[in-house]
Amino acid sequence: MLKKDQIDMYPTDFAVKLSKVTKTFTQWQRDNTGQSLIRNLIKPEKRTIVALNDVSFHIRKGEFVAYAGPNGAGKSTTMKLLSGMLLPNSGDISVLSMSPQKQRTTLMQRLGILFGNRTELWWDHPVIQSFEWKKVVWDIPDQIYRQNLDMVTDLLDIGPLLKTFARELSLGQRMRADLAMMLLHSPELILLDEPTLGLDVVAKRQMIDFLKKINQENGVTIVVTSHDMDDLEEMAERILMISDGKIAFDGSFQELRNITGNLTRVVVAMEDSLVPQVKMGKLLSSDKGVYEYDIDLAQLPIKALLGQLSQVEGVRDIEIKKAPIEQVIAGLYRDWTGI
Amino acid sequence: MEVKAKIKRILKLLAISAKMDLVWLLRDTKYALTGIASDMISNLSTVSAVYLIALRFNGIGGLNTDEILFMMSYSTITTGLFIMFGSGNNIHISRIIGRGQLEHLFMQPLSLKMQLFTNGFCPFTGGGNFLVGCIMLIISVRRLSLSITLGWLLSLIIYILATMTIIVARSYLVSTAAFYAPVAAEEISMTAIDGTWLLSTFPLSGMPAFLQVSLLTILPEGLMAWFPSLCLLGKTPLHFSKYYPLAFALILSLITSYIFRKGMNYYVKKGSNRYVPYGFRR
Repeated sequence: MLKKDQIDMYPTDFAVKLSKVTKTFTQWQRDNTGQSLIRNLIKPEKRTIVALNDVSFHIRKGEFVAYAGPNGAGKSTTMKLLSGMLLPNSGDISVLSMSPQKQRTTLMQRLGILFGNRTELWWDHPVIQSFEWKKVVWDIPDQIYRQNLDMVTDLLDIGPLLKTFARELSLGQRMRADLAMMLLHSPELILLDEPTLGLDVVAKRQMIDFLKKINQENGVTIVVTSHDMDDLEEMAERILMISDGKIAFDGSFQELRNITGNLTRVVVAMEDSLVPQVKMGKLLSSDKGVYEYDIDLAQLPIKALLGQLSQVEGVRDIEIKKAPIEQVIAGLYRDWTGI
Repeated sequence: MEVKAKIKRILKLLAISAKMDLVWLLRDTKYALTGIASDMISNLSTVSAVYLIALRFNGIGGLNTDEILFMMSYSTITTGLFIMFGSGNNIHISRIIGRGQLEHLFMQPLSLKMQLFTNGFCPFTGGGNFLVGCIMLIISVRRLSLSITLGWLLSLIIYILATMTIIVARSYLVSTAAFYAPVAAEEISMTAIDGTWLLSTFPLSGMPAFLQVSLLTILPEGLMAWFPSLCLLGKTPLHFSKYYPLAFALILSLITSYIFRKGMNYYVKKGSNRYVPYGFRR
């Protein structure tokens, strides 16, 4: 496992601490044969999935950490363990110096959780009604509620949404309203599971700017999961990469690039029947005039890349984006094994 | 002091649920009133069928029509309370478990008990049956010329609480299955409670004793209205103790508590591989 610096003892100012945490699930297995159906009646076939395998890490208060990994890597499981929704098979978890399992109700007063694919808003009520409900359930003092409401209304630009029914909001608006609601009780630690999922560019930008602001100005610790490297690099300073239930990398994005290279995907859309004749890296796919290349910007700087592309005849569109997490992790494995 | 603070907190939580219920009623008043009316008509149809049979045959199984009316009022009150406190699937808990929605509850800084007690309270849209039940109770008590004492009123409240405890405990007991089979058992509470509801409004007097005993023990439909009503009328049946419903409620709730906890432990260890958003927040 690669680590920025090996920690021998945990500092006292941590927000999250996981020590040798293992979490497994069992999955039922069955095929469609009659024999299998009968066999499963007597002895069901099960497969053990190791979501987290002896995982240890800590996050200091005030950090903004990206918790990244491919789908099924164990990101959401970690979030649920941190918020006391699941119990680990073994290991210790401490969140804001509390046990999520034993002190759940106290912890929830200081913790904010948001799952991108779920909403905490009341569906058939205006957004402000959900906020009021939260005020009572979280027992938020009037003054703090008013202050936070003003802050989130201003920063997330949700003023016009407050009187709108939750079910009538677009996905981006709903996410902003959910985020605002989550912040009403001034959480010290925020866990965000895929908050940018399905958001358009503008909504994503608003959310990222807001999160950076509350992290820098209010010192709120933020842990955000995503499988989109672009989003994560925009937001966080430190990245924890998880793969197959293990921490594959813990450090800064620059350090990650030093190991894996600055992996980038370039998609070039061409006019009919034209092919981009440039040395840009490895051609990954071509389909209906759209060519996708794999490029290491450490070897071919962006200036040189754009220079090459400007010489190409018949370019209709260009898109440059970070390589997917799966490729970054593959790079890490290559680095470990020296292949 | 701590108890006082806790009561205050519960009242605040009930108040916000009530407020949201009122707001919902006032927003879609037409639809809400239609819903309330259909709830009341449905319940009244159930009890009036029994009452009409009693009128036609001048009583059922040794109970006269006014005693039947008293029993119907008891049944309507418990149904009313069920609707009034259980609008958020908090009594039909198998839905919350089966749909993977318990995680929404884990996010709140409240014990599950407190959430489940307070978050389905809807006195405005769900209070119709309770009100009708109370009116029926007053009429039947007057027709029966019962002497109402403080002790009798307390007994009534205790029996109603015992009946409610049995309903909730039974729902939670069968709902435990949803921890292990979320898809198959999502609606099991509905089947267990609503499926047997009709039976609970029939007077069991006149039935063979083994059936009466079965319906007071194995399938406690007799404890939903018949047995407690007769106790309140001073006609405790089958030589059972008048404290039997209380003992049954206590034992059933202890068993349920034990089994439900085991299910909860299973849930937090294994997690839920299912999440559906519908029906969580209205």
